[in-house]
Amino acid sequence: MTDQISSESEKASGLIKSSQELGAGLFLLAVASFAFWQALELPRGSLRAMGPGMLPQSLAVMVGMGGLGLILSSFLTKGPALERWSLRGPFFVFGGIIIFSLLIRSFGLAVAGPVSMIFGSMASHEFRLKEAVVFSVILTAACILLFKVLLRLPIPVIGTVIEPFFPF
Amino acid sequence: MEAFIGNLGLGFSVALTLNNIFLCFVGCMVGTLIGVLPGVGPIATIAMLLPITFGFDPTGALIMLAGIYYGAQYGGSTTAILVNIPGEATSVVTTLDGHQMAKQGRAGVALGMAAMGSFFAGTVATIFIAALGKPLTKLAQLFGPAEYFSLMIMGLVFAVVLARGSILKAICMILLGLLLATVGTDLETGQERLTLGLQDLSDGVDFAVLAMGIFGFAEIVRNLENPETRDVVRAAIGRLWPSKDDFRQSYFPILRGTLTGAILGILPGNGAVLGPFASYTMEKKLAKDPKRFGRGAIEGVAGPEAANNAGAQTAFIPLLTLGIPPNAVMALMVGAMTIHGIIPGPQVMTKNPDLFWGMVASMWIGNLMLVIINLPLIGLWVKLLQVPYRLMFPAIMIFCCIGIYSINNSTSDVLFTAFFGLVGYTLLKFGFEPAPMLLGFVLGKLMEEKLRQALILSRGSFSTFIERPVSAGLLAVAVIMLVVALLPSIRKGRDEVFTE
Repeated sequence: MTDQISSESEKASGLIKSSQELGAGLFLLAVASFAFWQALELPRGSLRAMGPGMLPQSLAVMVGMGGLGLILSSFLTKGPALERWSLRGPFFVFGGIIIFSLLIRSFGLAVAGPVSMIFGSMASHEFRLKEAVVFSVILTAACILLFKVLLRLPIPVIGTVIEPFFPF
Repeated sequence: MEAFIGNLGLGFSVALTLNNIFLCFVGCMVGTLIGVLPGVGPIATIAMLLPITFGFDPTGALIMLAGIYYGAQYGGSTTAILVNIPGEATSVVTTLDGHQMAKQGRAGVALGMAAMGSFFAGTVATIFIAALGKPLTKLAQLFGPAEYFSLMIMGLVFAVVLARGSILKAICMILLGLLLATVGTDLETGQERLTLGLQDLSDGVDFAVLAMGIFGFAEIVRNLENPETRDVVRAAIGRLWPSKDDFRQSYFPILRGTLTGAILGILPGNGAVLGPFASYTMEKKLAKDPKRFGRGAIEGVAGPEAANNAGAQTAFIPLLTLGIPPNAVMALMVGAMTIHGIIPGPQVMTKNPDLFWGMVASMWIGNLMLVIINLPLIGLWVKLLQVPYRLMFPAIMIFCCIGIYSINNSTSDVLFTAFFGLVGYTLLKFGFEPAPMLLGFVLGKLMEEKLRQALILSRGSFSTFIERPVSAGLLAVAVIMLVVALLPSIRKGRDEVFTE
């Protein structure tokens, strides 16, 4: 996987004076349009008796207008260019969290903890496998002690899949 | 006066039970710990620890969570002085002179003075809350829906004015937060709104999920991208007790800082973050020799530190008296209160006096504890700061996951947190500051409720917000603030304050 994808950052001269503002505006516009479309079928009601759709629709319009404003200003005033987006960080960090949520019920914290932490650790450029494995196992043990034994949170330590193999 | 002492007496009798002292201690320690560690804030921590407090009584739970909040302000300055990185957003200015002092071998004095300034500020702020609580609660009872709505508008405008960077972007973030708050079941008709047909969204987006995604996970990804260079001071920390000269130079800055911080802290819209900046600017203006600032002037540590601690505490005033959370941490407090069946607002003081006064008293006790436990522990914090980020972030990650899962025992909450983390990262990349969005989200539901009520009462006429004098006054303040912030000359000054 390539580490970073470059953006049009440095050469954002010409018409667009701030690619960051343009991106920000387009992002807001997209979010607003989606929300407006989703809220369209809700009854608006009247000012005297507002319906459930009144606020979501008007807020979506306002967010959209803000987005348009940002797009406009990206052509008019000079501003920062879009930063580089890294893929490595988000992929491993959010991937690790998703792994945790998939494993916690069926395999429990004893498995989900180390697996998601080791996967997440790879987000760093300084990743060292041995260190990550040792650290994640120790930390998981500490978490089980703290959250399960001391604080008695109802978090599964061994999940539904492994449980049958433990007769006690 | 008699009632005042009686109330504080009640507070101390609640706060001084063994159980509550212990919880206060735990809160302060955890708070200092996360304050010291850059990249872990009180928002993610409190969200994470929320499930643990389910089993406590409400007073104990709030005492602990409050301890985390002001403990973090405290720990943040340790990092600012020793490592030149603000451990918390409010200790940004402390890095300026505090780290210079540390480089000159006066780290101990800076830490000691910061601690004493904070303790003094904490004491004054405690009295402030105790004294202002009653009158403000009375005032709150005069508030109708229109006034509440206008007050929240004012709070949001403050948040816009106080946010860094583009004002338009800050406004967009507030609106986005408000829009996000409309997700879920409609209050009156029970119709589902913007839930995309997902069962998990019918109660709306959980605040802890949103906060943890945006302030926990997105921050991790962000920090991984910009590897920070930590230059932990190698010079000796030196003695902690400031000299007579140091004290003489710091008396008035601490006094002024406390006052500024306390007043700004009350403002809805997270005024507390402005305190240290205001105090620093003021001390620099008042100093006989402003050139000393930035080169290790003790006033530049004492004043802002007092201001940030005072502000952190008076920020509880809008929450406890009006039921309006002025910042994201206070919004989590709302969550902690409602879990225990307490609705924040003016009625807390009359219905749960032991909770209100117990919390106020615990703040003073907590501040005392912070001075006593912290100064001897500085060596430990320095050690902790040497833990590399590559080990720290997986730990933060797993704590957040366990915390989020435990709130509702729900795996989909964990997935939503990952989603909001991604959203938060995207927002950061587009140059948006997520704090105003969170505030918009926090106030959204209450604002909609009050807006609807006000318009029903006025038969659909918006003029009710201008015809009622209190409401009109609040809106006028909001408009003036916004206009002033947009004036070119002030705008320049505002940018300077933040970049200084």
